[in-house]
Amino acid sequence: MDPEQVDEFVMGYLKKKGFNSAAKQLQEALHHNNGGTFNSTDYHNDPELTKLIRSFSQSENDPTRYRDGYSKLRSWAYNSLDLYKHELLRVMYPVFIHCYMDLVGKGHTREARAFFNSFRKDHEMIHLRDLQKLEGVLVPSHLEEMEFARSLRQSKVNIKICQYSYDLLLQYLHRTESTLMLGIINEHINFQVYSGQPNSSSDDIDAVTIVGSFQETADHINQKEIQWGLLEDSLEDRLEKTGSLLSDSEKGQGESKDGDVDDSKKRSNEIGKQGSSLKKLKKDKAGNATAKVARQETSIVSPAPRVKPELALPVMSTDVEESILEDLRNRVQLSSVAMPSVSFYTFVNTHNGLNCASISHDGSLVAGGFSDSSIKVWNMAKIGQAGSGALQGESDTNDQNVGPNGRRNYTLLLGHSGPVYSATFSPPGDFVLSSSADTTIRLWSTQLNANLVCYKGHNYPVWDVQFSPFGHYFASCSHDRTARIWSMDRVQPLRIMAGHLSDVDVSVSLTIVRCVQWHPNCNYIATGSSDKTVRLWDVQTGECVRIFIGHRSMVLSLAMSPDGRYMASGDEDGTIMMWDLSTARCITPLMGHNSCVWSLSYSGEGSLLASGSADCTVKLWDVTSSTKLTKAEEKNGNTNRLRSLRTFPTKSTPVHALRFSRRNLLFAAGALSKPAS
Amino acid sequence: MQLAVEGEEKMSIVPKETIEVIAQSIGITNLSPEAALMLAPDVEYRVREIMQEAIKCMRHSKRTTLTASDVDGALNLRNLEPIYGFGSGGPIRFRKAIGHRDLFYTDDREVDFKDVIEAPLPKAPLDTEIVCHWLAIEGVQPAIPENAPLEVIRAPAENQIYQQKDGPLIDIRLPVKHVLSKELQLYFQKIAELTLSKSNPSLFKEALVSLASDSGLHPLVPYFTNFIADEVSRGLNDFLLLFNLMHVVRSLLQNPHIHIEPYLHQLMPSVVTCLVSRKLGNRFADNHWDLRDFTANLVALICKRFGNTYITLQSRLTKTLVNALLDPKKALTQHYGAIQGLAALGHNVVRLLVLSNLEPYLSLLEPELDAEKQKNQMKSYEAWRVYGAILRAAGLCIHDRLKIFPTLPSPSPSFPSKGKGKVISTEPNKRKLGVDSSENRSPHKRLIATDGSDGGPSPMQVDRPTGDANPPQNSVRPSSSEQASDGNAPESRNAKEKDDSKGRAITRKAILDQIWKDDLDSGRLLVKLHQLYGDRILPFIPSTEMSLFL
Repeated sequence: MDPEQVDEFVMGYLKKKGFNSAAKQLQEALHHNNGGTFNSTDYHNDPELTKLIRSFSQSENDPTRYRDGYSKLRSWAYNSLDLYKHELLRVMYPVFIHCYMDLVGKGHTREARAFFNSFRKDHEMIHLRDLQKLEGVLVPSHLEEMEFARSLRQSKVNIKICQYSYDLLLQYLHRTESTLMLGIINEHINFQVYSGQPNSSSDDIDAVTIVGSFQETADHINQKEIQWGLLEDSLEDRLEKTGSLLSDSEKGQGESKDGDVDDSKKRSNEIGKQGSSLKKLKKDKAGNATAKVARQETSIVSPAPRVKPELALPVMSTDVEESILEDLRNRVQLSSVAMPSVSFYTFVNTHNGLNCASISHDGSLVAGGFSDSSIKVWNMAKIGQAGSGALQGESDTNDQNVGPNGRRNYTLLLGHSGPVYSATFSPPGDFVLSSSADTTIRLWSTQLNANLVCYKGHNYPVWDVQFSPFGHYFASCSHDRTARIWSMDRVQPLRIMAGHLSDVDVSVSLTIVRCVQWHPNCNYIATGSSDKTVRLWDVQTGECVRIFIGHRSMVLSLAMSPDGRYMASGDEDGTIMMWDLSTARCITPLMGHNSCVWSLSYSGEGSLLASGSADCTVKLWDVTSSTKLTKAEEKNGNTNRLRSLRTFPTKSTPVHALRFSRRNLLFAAGALSKPAS
Repeated sequence: MQLAVEGEEKMSIVPKETIEVIAQSIGITNLSPEAALMLAPDVEYRVREIMQEAIKCMRHSKRTTLTASDVDGALNLRNLEPIYGFGSGGPIRFRKAIGHRDLFYTDDREVDFKDVIEAPLPKAPLDTEIVCHWLAIEGVQPAIPENAPLEVIRAPAENQIYQQKDGPLIDIRLPVKHVLSKELQLYFQKIAELTLSKSNPSLFKEALVSLASDSGLHPLVPYFTNFIADEVSRGLNDFLLLFNLMHVVRSLLQNPHIHIEPYLHQLMPSVVTCLVSRKLGNRFADNHWDLRDFTANLVALICKRFGNTYITLQSRLTKTLVNALLDPKKALTQHYGAIQGLAALGHNVVRLLVLSNLEPYLSLLEPELDAEKQKNQMKSYEAWRVYGAILRAAGLCIHDRLKIFPTLPSPSPSFPSKGKGKVISTEPNKRKLGVDSSENRSPHKRLIATDGSDGGPSPMQVDRPTGDANPPQNSVRPSSSEQASDGNAPESRNAKEKDDSKGRAITRKAILDQIWKDDLDSGRLLVKLHQLYGDRILPFIPSTEMSLFL
């Protein structure tokens, strides 16, 4: 190339960018060079550099370059060897969205739109929801305003890629001089190159994580230690105690064990020996004799460690404790061969107004939150004994009652001034908490049928509220991007879990919290969010201790396994993921539902997971076999799917709520909806 | 509101005209086109944002359908005024704007205040309730009405299981789902429409042609038979409709691609109704006689085509018709229909069933015919129609019989003597005919063709003439002649025999005996008819024969 020409390019570039002084200096230098003393710069002779300079000189603002570059890269990736293809195709999505955002950012709205529409089909299958969000971004100011776009711009995408694919890609980019694409890839993609053959599974969840720098934070957070074990001196422990002693003095015995570590270990070993009695529910009352015999079978699951409570737990009254112990003693052992019975509560004549449903721990009370801001509580034990035969075994412990009403069978609780989004029963069933779009949480007594407290604190609709497993404390989450911990006796929250309390990066991506769930040991709460992540928070410190990344749409439901080791989360697309809390890794995704998973529940001993979905089915999943298998197969690197045991379709009733009673009877609730005509 | 400083034209879903219209509607008249152009993409972004929020609200209400309240909720979240207010329950009806392909507006009708106030109160909505049932018992779904039926889940195509209670040995066959293509459905609808509308006779004629010739209509046959049966029972007062329906029946019968036999039992009652019903059409001008004539031919056509496969078809039909004829309580119109029906079935039927009952019937008809006794003109007209029909039937019958006589047959001299002898003793003659007619009705007898059915291989008939000991004169005859003879070649003895036998395989002896007997019967008949009708029968008798008799 003519050196003169290069100089001209450089001059033009400097002028265009407004570096006038630099241009002047260059000009002077050129004059000086023309004097012919020496040539200090060697860029005239370096062809690579020349090319680079030339590409810079090309019209910087030409929007067609994006389209050309992308479509070339695309056709190259699609035509690559099958072995490396899926790895290379992973690169396409981040390049695509950043090309689009670059175009928008430079103000080429029309070209951006055309570019987006011509290539969106490629990515619709996996990233449909993100695309729908991005589609609306049309002017540069939107990029600033929209959180999702901003977080995309600020973070890098992590892509796992094998050495060979990586080399292929670089080679291609250099050969074709597509500096634009190279720039985008350099700027927004963080390659994690590994040696060896490419991964065969194209749907590896870890392969692509959109929020890259956030991923690092998440990794960092996930290093933190958590105590996922059960509380020492839990009722289960006491049950073991009473079971072995067969005495009525369990309470005193149980309390005397405080802090006795060795003893608790022993007990925890014993807990594993809890029987897998396959009795029928009807025989529940057969008493301890049968239970004792059955208890001799042992299960292999390693016992959960015991931890101390970080919160001051409420003292349980003796008779409540008695009743819970009685229930635990009579629990039906469930497994893949011993399925639970499912009792279904169908709401009829809801006129599309039922927003949420909740079932008390013994299944005798059912609450529904309605969009007309009312809450209705049914006492199923009282409604026609014939219809609720299921309850007879369960309701003997239930001593609260709903005031008999001549006209209706339910208790109407009025107080909210907006749609009620969530309701939860305290473990003994004497209180109901409800959260509403009017930003308040209200506490109701099921004995007095009256509103006791109104908790104000959130600034936006409160989406979900959950009692802690021991009552007294409750957690709520809201559209204002916080989750809060409350106790019943204070109108101010005890803790506010917000992004800014933990980390700046997190705050960027922390969006509206969808659902909240307590860890069985009360030390942690988990929140699911519309940013497709699930977080685990330490209740005591208010810190985020785990981030679970992997869902492809917003998380709608959460459940914690009774031993505190695992967590299940269900999302909008019908995928359920089971997580190991300690490693923050997804054990396996559970595919099967084809619509929103509204509700999840673990059985009493954690062997089964029940899921209720908007596709009008209740599904049972075998989680024991899978967790065991995963351990064995982890070495093989083989992801195995949890077994779907059963599917119970309802008659066009989306399943809103699920609850395993302490005796392992599964209750489900939903509103009958007319099938679309 | 921030706006990008760009002079370039934006591309957005919202056109700038919309922005201008909205601006005008809220009182901003001097909005520059540039501003509108810049506003458009931002408007799109905001709308998308609100919809996204609305979807979130929908999810939290645990619904999968977006409602107006969700959008209101989303607006609330942004501290905006809700725009939808109280929902009206029912879905919003959109109407297409005339002249635009994709422009819709809501149908906002004016409601009269008075109507609203005076309208009866709507039913109070039912209160929310909870129903409890077992979704599963120990992992097994019980088959109770509250649960979704299991069959539906396993095989959605077969939503009912057909059960036969005949016995365990019969293998239960699931009903085959009958799928009718859209085109056939349309065709059927069109034909039914044309049949019912009666307004477009030329189109209807073409439809009939199509019905009579198109292949591939077979799947529609059950629908057509149903349609015809329904419409006939419903539209007995509608003469034109009945006539149209009968035309449809005829076209269906004519169609060579249609296999109509299985549906005949469904079709016949309607057809016979159109033949012998007391009243067809409600107007005086309705020419129901035509309809009856037409239907009579139709019946004959059916018998001719399906007599083979449906052995009892003709016997049942004639029984019905004779019953109608001989019942003096039935109206004259019904008698007419019966006579026409019988006449159409052929002269053998007429001879056996009508002529045998001719004398008592005519005596019954006599008072009606007399203009002085019957004052009712209508009745008298009907009576004359019946009389004409019966005369025609008898006349055609006798004509057919006589036509087949040989010109100069050797046995002819014996006719007058024999015939006369028989006429005198009418009693045994009638008895014999009675036997014949009963045979005619016997289910074992095969009726292959309408005329000449008498020649069937009935053993009794064969035996009787042999007992008469009238030896046949012509012993050498080709017995199985396949040629179809139209019967108007009486000069040859061969043809005569063909006429009688109609190509059926009967022994030669039987044929000859039959001819002999037939000749005798014919002679007797002619004399009798002459007695009854007088000179009115004469035009039916061929001239050659006339000379013989008179």
